[in-house]
Amino acid sequence: MQVETGTRSQPHPLSASVARFLSVVGGLGVLLSEILRRAVRRDFDRAELLRNLYRMGLKSLPIVTVTALFTGGIMVIQAAPIVQRYGAQGLLGWGAGFGTLREIAPLLTALMINGRVGANNTAELGTMTVTEQVDALRALAIDPVAFLVTPRFLSIVITLFLSTIFSDALALLGAAYAGAGFLGVDPGVFYRGLTTGLLGFGDVAHGLAKSIVFGCVIGLSSCHFGLATSGGAPGVGRSVNATVVASAAGVFVLDYLLSFALS
Amino acid sequence: MIRLEGIAKSFDRAVLTDVNLFVPDQCLFGLIGPGASGKSLLLRMITGLMRPDRGRVTVAGRDVLTLGDLELSEFRKGIGMLFQNNALFDFMTVGENIAFPLRRLFQLDEAEIAARVAERLGRVDLPGFEGRLPAGLSGGQKKRVGVARATIARAPIVLYDEPAAGLDPVTSQKIFDLLRAEQRAAGATVIMVSSDLDRLLTVTDRVGMMLDGRLIFEGTTEEARNASDPRVHQFVHGAVDGPL
Repeated sequence: MQVETGTRSQPHPLSASVARFLSVVGGLGVLLSEILRRAVRRDFDRAELLRNLYRMGLKSLPIVTVTALFTGGIMVIQAAPIVQRYGAQGLLGWGAGFGTLREIAPLLTALMINGRVGANNTAELGTMTVTEQVDALRALAIDPVAFLVTPRFLSIVITLFLSTIFSDALALLGAAYAGAGFLGVDPGVFYRGLTTGLLGFGDVAHGLAKSIVFGCVIGLSSCHFGLATSGGAPGVGRSVNATVVASAAGVFVLDYLLSFALS
Repeated sequence: MIRLEGIAKSFDRAVLTDVNLFVPDQCLFGLIGPGASGKSLLLRMITGLMRPDRGRVTVAGRDVLTLGDLELSEFRKGIGMLFQNNALFDFMTVGENIAFPLRRLFQLDEAEIAARVAERLGRVDLPGFEGRLPAGLSGGQKKRVGVARATIARAPIVLYDEPAAGLDPVTSQKIFDLLRAEQRAAGATVIMVSSDLDRLLTVTDRVGMMLDGRLIFEGTTEEARNASDPRVHQFVHGAVDGPL
């Protein structure tokens, strides 16, 4: 007679991890298709979109401003020894602009928005899930993806896109004034370095295209982990942690791939 | 009419086993039983928020498990529900919470919505609370706002999960009396889950008792009070000694 030992049903830890990973990837795919369907049909709550744009976008301006201004300054400080050694003051604008527009502004803005908006979005949706507010929406015949998720996803994408434009400008401003302060490079020389043909609209578009992809990553993962929350307050904490880590990792991986694809 | 047939559900263990339940039209049905016996789960299955592993759920002649997303959404317009944790929307004021179903589901002008919200708040003893946020309310006040939201659309079927939890005895009785009066006025079919048996049984027409995921009793309120099953008798009378 065969005896049930009770150990056969225990999955191998590795296969359990793979199953969890695939489940997250599948969940992200399903949620993305649901969001895109509603976005294309314009079947989402406009008032919620505006409310989220205000609290996600407008209220992020101070942190984006500080980050961008100091980032521009830091780039000039790092470049200072080389610029001084080779007397390449005329290239300072190009160097700062190239790195800022294509890479630094979209990347750092995404990380800041991930920490401030993505984490907050997951915490809100997670709390709504564990306190049955999402179920209450369903019970009231309201589609949570149209009412809650799609406006938040779109708000994050729009916020990151606009914040990156703002960040580009402020980082260059910070770089110009740091150049004047630390290297004695006239802001006019810095500006000519930016605009004499070495940099083009393609460099701006490169960074902005990345910001849209990063916005999709942060919006999707923050909504997914929020809605997948279980286990009360500790569960909300776990979901926020998962969002921040997954979004940051996703941003870096996609940045790498996009840098190849768009070059 | 609400009919559940052969309902079974398991998570890591069986939580509902072969539940058969019938609630006739315009009946106020009390669902009682110890914690974690599957009462709230049954309410969620009636609204289609959760699917059973086996069985059939029929509400107002519609097989809930066969409804698609759009049909399910339409079907839920006819159901009001109060959740155990109230499930008030944190980012909305009390007035917006109560008005939410009317604004989203019905074409009513703002003046009528405001009048109905004020009327509901008056009925649950919270007049003038429209502008308050849920975070600033006590547990009992939140519960009453939840009741106001669940009843504002005058749905023909209303499900209450612990409508009096956290309320003092007087307010609790007032809420049960209010819900009974509402049910009679609207001719609604109501299922009420409550642990406050002393007050619940003053308003119910019929009662069902769940124990370990099974429906072990179903009958009139009077039959529940005089049940011969020692488990039902002990639970209804709150006796310490007995099989439970």
